[in-house]
Amino acid sequence: MATLKVSNLTKNFGNTQVLKQINLEVIDGEFIVLLGPSGCGKSTLLNIIAGLETVDDGEILIDEYVVNRVEPKDRNIAMVFQSYALYPAMTVRDNVIFGLKQRKVSKEHIEKSLKHFSQMLQIDQLLDRKPAQLSGGQRQRVAMGRALVREPHIFLFDEPLSNLDAKLRVEMRHEINKLHEQLGTTMIYVTHDQVEAMSLATRIAVMNEGIIQQIGTPQEIYEKPNSVFVADFIGSPAINLIQGTFYKDGTAPSFIPEQQKDNFKISLSGYSFDSEPKDGQEIIFGFRPEHINLPDASLKSQLPVELKPSLIELTGYEKEVSFEFYGNEITGRLPRHVNTELGKSISLSLDLSEISIFDSASTMRI
Amino acid sequence: MQTLDFQKMANIERSASRKRTFYRWLLFITLGIFALYYLAPLYVMIITSLKSMEEIRQGNLMTLPGEIIFDSWKTAWSGRDYDAGNVFLRPFFWNSIKMVVPAVAISAFFGALNGYALTKWRFRGDNLVFLLFLFGCFIPYQAILLPMARTLGVLGISNSITGLVVVHSIYGLSFTTLFFRNYYVSIPDEMIKAARIDGAGFFKIFFKVLLPISAPIIVVTVIWQFTNIWNDFLFGSTFSFGEAAPIQVALNNMVLTSTSVKEYNVDMAAAFIAGIPTLLVYVLAGKYFIRGLTAGSVKG
Repeated sequence: MATLKVSNLTKNFGNTQVLKQINLEVIDGEFIVLLGPSGCGKSTLLNIIAGLETVDDGEILIDEYVVNRVEPKDRNIAMVFQSYALYPAMTVRDNVIFGLKQRKVSKEHIEKSLKHFSQMLQIDQLLDRKPAQLSGGQRQRVAMGRALVREPHIFLFDEPLSNLDAKLRVEMRHEINKLHEQLGTTMIYVTHDQVEAMSLATRIAVMNEGIIQQIGTPQEIYEKPNSVFVADFIGSPAINLIQGTFYKDGTAPSFIPEQQKDNFKISLSGYSFDSEPKDGQEIIFGFRPEHINLPDASLKSQLPVELKPSLIELTGYEKEVSFEFYGNEITGRLPRHVNTELGKSISLSLDLSEISIFDSASTMRI
Repeated sequence: MQTLDFQKMANIERSASRKRTFYRWLLFITLGIFALYYLAPLYVMIITSLKSMEEIRQGNLMTLPGEIIFDSWKTAWSGRDYDAGNVFLRPFFWNSIKMVVPAVAISAFFGALNGYALTKWRFRGDNLVFLLFLFGCFIPYQAILLPMARTLGVLGISNSITGLVVVHSIYGLSFTTLFFRNYYVSIPDEMIKAARIDGAGFFKIFFKVLLPISAPIIVVTVIWQFTNIWNDFLFGSTFSFGEAAPIQVALNNMVLTSTSVKEYNVDMAAAFIAGIPTLLVYVLAGKYFIRGLTAGSVKG
């Protein structure tokens, strides 16, 4: 059983407030990913949870106990670092069991855990080597072994895959995923890589400028981003955002792009507003690239559009095509077999069932 | 047309390679001249120490000895049997060893500890503390003579090897702290964080994690401190005299107290003996010295 609760956490470095009133509750067995651009405070938050940084205001609770003043070693946590942070002078074996030795665990238990976890991570052949003799992926495994062997209540990961090459990163990601399945331990994972976040997390906390912008399942975050920041940060290629005004003609709401012509408007009657804007209010209309596609009769509400490609990029499975759309450049993801030619317009449709609308002033979802 | 171009290229290549050869020669000749210039005194020292006094009086400074005699080395080290008042180096050599070993060990150890605390356990005002240490590096020897003499007097360890150990340990601390601090700055903080989470405390991390990877900077520090302390004359002559003097002071006394004739061969041998330990330290650890000096500056 391991729950974590962060309440009203504030942290300053000098005059800059890096964490502002953070609230976060983690249930036992969850895999929480703290996601955000560099400098958003995610690593600081993780360090504070680990006890490596002090708290200026607010509380950290692990298993219902306030641990603000508890030393890292007594918090029942283990941490994996981006640089692996292995002890260069020690063999892999000594690296892995260093923590257990500090805790005066019995020799038999140490040997047993070492054997169990080194086999699990496939580092049992490397035990007598020094970290310098290992490849990046092996070092990563050793770093994980060092964390696992302690059998902590909470695992903390600080961008553990950032130093690996692309292929190895995917491999290790799968392993971390499997590990979580196997152990069911609470994990908190910091990354700036949205693919890692989406694929690992049970819940993602998107952070920016010291604030948790949104917290939810990967699907919620992707489909219903609560702000322009989250919408824009998640998804690659990025979501298309178009400035314009909200217009209400009788009961039928619609969106008019800023640079519209020929009375073009997009009907919003299928969109369920959290709070409906006033007529004439400035809003931002957002839709993901995959919602520009070939016309599909099965879709509930769609808008037929004629678009001219201005840039075509084949990514392998599909192609990303940029179009000019009422003064905005928008991107669509089309199947690679679709015939596209620069400057030659094609008939496509915009799926209106999964759009997001934001208020221009507050940049929040409405 | 094409053959013309080829010819042009060949000409350019040839002249470039000629130029390269010329500069290479210039470089080696210059280096050779400087090497000779620096080695000349050593050469004179060694050959003079192996000559007899008569030969020295007759001969040219640079000529090789007609007959190699080691007597002057023996005299410099253990004195003459019949001359009771003679000064010779042996006891003072051991004085210096007794002074330099603990002084180097103490200053290096505390320098390492300071460097570790200043980089890995940051505290409010740590930069100011470091600045003060840095300032310590620029305090000239002469400035601390009087206060140090008074301090040693109060502590009751003036004119003793212990006193000199204390002086050198304290004076060297600024330098050793600077060395270790700059080395430890390049060691990732994450390693310390990992050790803290693993349950190791301040000293455990220092001894188990950091010190085992400090070999390059330990070598630098030891060479630096050893050379400075061994070669020091000012502290030695100010804070000690008679039997408690280190070798450099004894060397000075020996050279100055020759009563009748100036025995250049003995003086040269004595000077060489006094320089052997530092020479030895350089030869044995020199390659780590260069490596250690640059290790801190480049990450990774």
